Amino acid sequence: MRPRGITRADIATANLPRRKLVNRVMEAGATLAAVVAVGILCILVFSVARRGWSELNWNLLTKTPSTDFFGDGPSGVANAVAGSLVIVGLAAAITLPVGILIAIYLSEYARPRVRSFVSVMLDVLAGVPAIVIGIFVYALLVVGSGSSGSGWDGAFALSILMLPFATRAVQEVLALVPASTREASLALGVPRWRTTLSIVLPQTIGGIVTGGTLAVARVAGETAPLLFVTSIVDQQMHWSPSHALQTIPVTIFEYSEQPDPKLHAQAWAIGFVLLLFILVTNLGARALAARNRRRLTGR
Amino acid sequence: MASVEAQAAPGRRSLGGRRRRLGDVILVGAAGIAAAGAVALVVLIAVKVTQQAWPAIRHFSLGFLTEQSWVPNVGHEIYGAASFLFGTAVTSFVALALAGPLAIAIGLYLTELAPRFLRGPVTALVETLAAIPSVVIGLWGILVLGPFLRDHVEPWLHGVLGFVLLFGEPSSSGSGIFTAIVVLTIMILPIVAAVSRELFLAVPRELKEGALALGTTRWEMIRAVVFPYARGGIVAGLMLGLGRAVGEAIAVTQVIGGITGTSGVHWNLFGNGDTLASKLAASYQGATTHLQTASLMYLAVILLVFSLVVNLLAQWIVRRFGRSGEQAGFSKIAAKSQTAGAAS
Amino acid sequence: MRKRALVAALGAVGLAAAIAAGASARSSNTTITGAGSTFVAPLVQTWIQPVGAAFGDTLSYSPIGSGGGIAAITNRTVDFGASDAPLTPDQFTACKGCAQIPWALSATAVVYNLPSAKNNLHMTGSVLAKIFMGQITQWNDPAIRKLNKGVSLPATKISIAHRSDNSGTTFNFTDYLSAVSPQWKSKYGTGVAVEWPVGSGGRGSAGVAALVSQTAGAIGYVDVAYALKNRLKFFSVQNRSGKFTTPGLRGIAAAAASDVKPAADNSLSIVNPPKRFELAYPISTFTYVIVPLSSPKAAELKKFLFWAVTKGQTSGPKLLFQPIPKSVLVVSEKTIAKIHA
Repeated sequence: MRPRGITRADIATANLPRRKLVNRVMEAGATLAAVVAVGILCILVFSVARRGWSELNWNLLTKTPSTDFFGDGPSGVANAVAGSLVIVGLAAAITLPVGILIAIYLSEYARPRVRSFVSVMLDVLAGVPAIVIGIFVYALLVVGSGSSGSGWDGAFALSILMLPFATRAVQEVLALVPASTREASLALGVPRWRTTLSIVLPQTIGGIVTGGTLAVARVAGETAPLLFVTSIVDQQMHWSPSHALQTIPVTIFEYSEQPDPKLHAQAWAIGFVLLLFILVTNLGARALAARNRRRLTGR
Repeated sequence: MASVEAQAAPGRRSLGGRRRRLGDVILVGAAGIAAAGAVALVVLIAVKVTQQAWPAIRHFSLGFLTEQSWVPNVGHEIYGAASFLFGTAVTSFVALALAGPLAIAIGLYLTELAPRFLRGPVTALVETLAAIPSVVIGLWGILVLGPFLRDHVEPWLHGVLGFVLLFGEPSSSGSGIFTAIVVLTIMILPIVAAVSRELFLAVPRELKEGALALGTTRWEMIRAVVFPYARGGIVAGLMLGLGRAVGEAIAVTQVIGGITGTSGVHWNLFGNGDTLASKLAASYQGATTHLQTASLMYLAVILLVFSLVVNLLAQWIVRRFGRSGEQAGFSKIAAKSQTAGAAS
Repeated sequence: MRKRALVAALGAVGLAAAIAAGASARSSNTTITGAGSTFVAPLVQTWIQPVGAAFGDTLSYSPIGSGGGIAAITNRTVDFGASDAPLTPDQFTACKGCAQIPWALSATAVVYNLPSAKNNLHMTGSVLAKIFMGQITQWNDPAIRKLNKGVSLPATKISIAHRSDNSGTTFNFTDYLSAVSPQWKSKYGTGVAVEWPVGSGGRGSAGVAALVSQTAGAIGYVDVAYALKNRLKFFSVQNRSGKFTTPGLRGIAAAAASDVKPAADNSLSIVNPPKRFELAYPISTFTYVIVPLSSPKAAELKKFLFWAVTKGQTSGPKLLFQPIPKSVLVVSEKTIAKIHA
């Protein structure tokens, strides 16, 4: 597809003032668009921070929700924090090894046609709406199980969501390892699997860590996959994944629809904590990834 | 890869050793099983959801798609997807129409116009917008955006443009299709912007400089060189944004109001509505009859098909119309949209 | 060196996982999980602590709406479900051997948000039905003014808040509207969800309370405990004897007196009681716990339920739950005794 081509009409100098005006207007428009985007971000973050500030205290993270209907006394969302840590941690523990294996398969072993097929399938998996994944896991694991859902179900749902992303991230890092390294190793007689595991993979550990961190940051705020497997929970602290666990995003979702201003404030506060966590991990992981990339390709 | 294999094979064979071959078999086996598992997962999702929807599919067949009522009254239940298809179409396409040009403009700004020192930070900021969880945006939508629109924007629009059916009676609660459109626009924006930026960065400098050397203004250069070059990718990016909007359940269900009965298909943007995804999020748990559960699963099937079509269409567009760099890089584009955020 | 670190890390992770698994195996408290009606949630939540103290069991309840409760117990994802709407024969069949047991008694308050007006404005059933049918749209409508002479009502638009989920409270409210308005009965009828002609939907009684609190001029319907908690004003509704009554304990008790004998499936109907119950509040209702007659947690369930219908009722009055009458208690206890392992 070649560029449209510049016609004489485009550069007819008689039109220059008008062309310059159009150009100025368009540039202003684009700048305005960027300002709008950054502005929206700032409004959102400040809104959340300002409203969450009043409830942002240690009670939020250490106390469980009040079971008294008239809700006096200190309360917090400690059970949600614990549940989120467990479920997201488990999801990462499940996804990363599987993602690494698939990435190894795609970049080291697969024939081109198989590779493109699996890649297409992974893209398809990435395009499945999170709510459908949540319903799928609910129908598959929860209905008929005798329990109302467990941490394992939630972790499984999140790991399905994370998988295409984690695989892609590891693939990218594997691709950064120069072919010469692999070739040198194979030429020396090192078996293929040894090359992959002991030579190629260790170079990518940094990238895998940052990719994993980004994946965690991504699913930490996901609500839809957990909506059905964690909506029947009690208000106590649980760390065991075989229990139904409350999570931070589902808590925010539930509190957002309540009339109690105190619950709203708690939702803002824990939302702010979640936001901070995601933003810090995101920006930090990106900085790390950039450094890694410079190291790997600069070498 | 293939050439390396061919070179390595003779060496491997001559060195022999069952241990080495076993290691290879195990690694390839495990990795292959993982990959096959991922593929099987996609198939399993489609199969399981369809299987759960089967009673409704058999009962309503394709008439489901045109039936506007959703009446869960036991004894005379009627279920239909038309209201939700309408809601999904209106919210997603209008949000895309608003966010698309804005996002492309941002992509242009970030690659052409911004001073060098600003490019990195502003890019990071725009991509950060995508990282905000949708439930937080929904919380903001219910408690801040909704009341703001209800008190200041909707009455003004109704007053000025009320003769247009779209701007009818303002919402009383701040929830409605209009609020959902604003929320979705905010969510699509960073994805399409990130994709656009990637594409514009890939335009070869010689082409751009050539145009500028001929005396075009920056805008004319963009129109003549950048846009045609990135055309396929931009469309693919827009489709990814559309996919995101269609699949968004949480923030939408928080602000869209929800419909009952037959009130789904109407032209007032300020009224209540529901999308396929938001209906699923709102109702799935409380379904009291098997037919209702199956009908909700039928909605999930429709949503799944819709998302798959959009996704595959985006891939095909890049393959067909994209430049060779883009074709290989569609995965990169998709990854960008994933890092930006996914349907939640 | 790096490989050793990797192995050590993996070992640590594995050890942590083993400890977590071990910890989970060690927890031995029985948890009784329930889900359903938001109507009865305030009362059930007060039971969590005393049940733990009395029996050592952890009671956990999720208010996801009566529809959700019925679905949950049908799928056996919980130990008991709670619903204000009695089960239909089809739902009994689907639930496979479930019993419904009346275990609490309260009322639906019709709440409104009108800052300039006082609490307990007068309302009748037929005017209420017209409002919910969208035929009366403003607060200063003559029909409302006639009922509240001497009160100045503004020209504010009435916004309706109803339930968006399958709700027993909706069942109770629409049951009342059908009883007082033949037009409502023929067009919309009674149900856990109806085709509301106007209004916005909120999820759960809390959702409706939220909508009403945030919208000036709104009218909605919630369990009366939610009206108390969120300091919402509610109407004083006219009963069949002509008196305007509020959803207080006296009104609820009077209404309960109108149906003392549960039907074969244990359901009761006390909506819009006859004229002779002069003090009755016309939108009162019993609410039911749905349990499978054969349950792996039969012993704990029985202990809990026997306690709930007797001692548990004493925490009701401050939340405007009237203790269930003796005649109903007898039937409930008889049904509870049928639960077996």
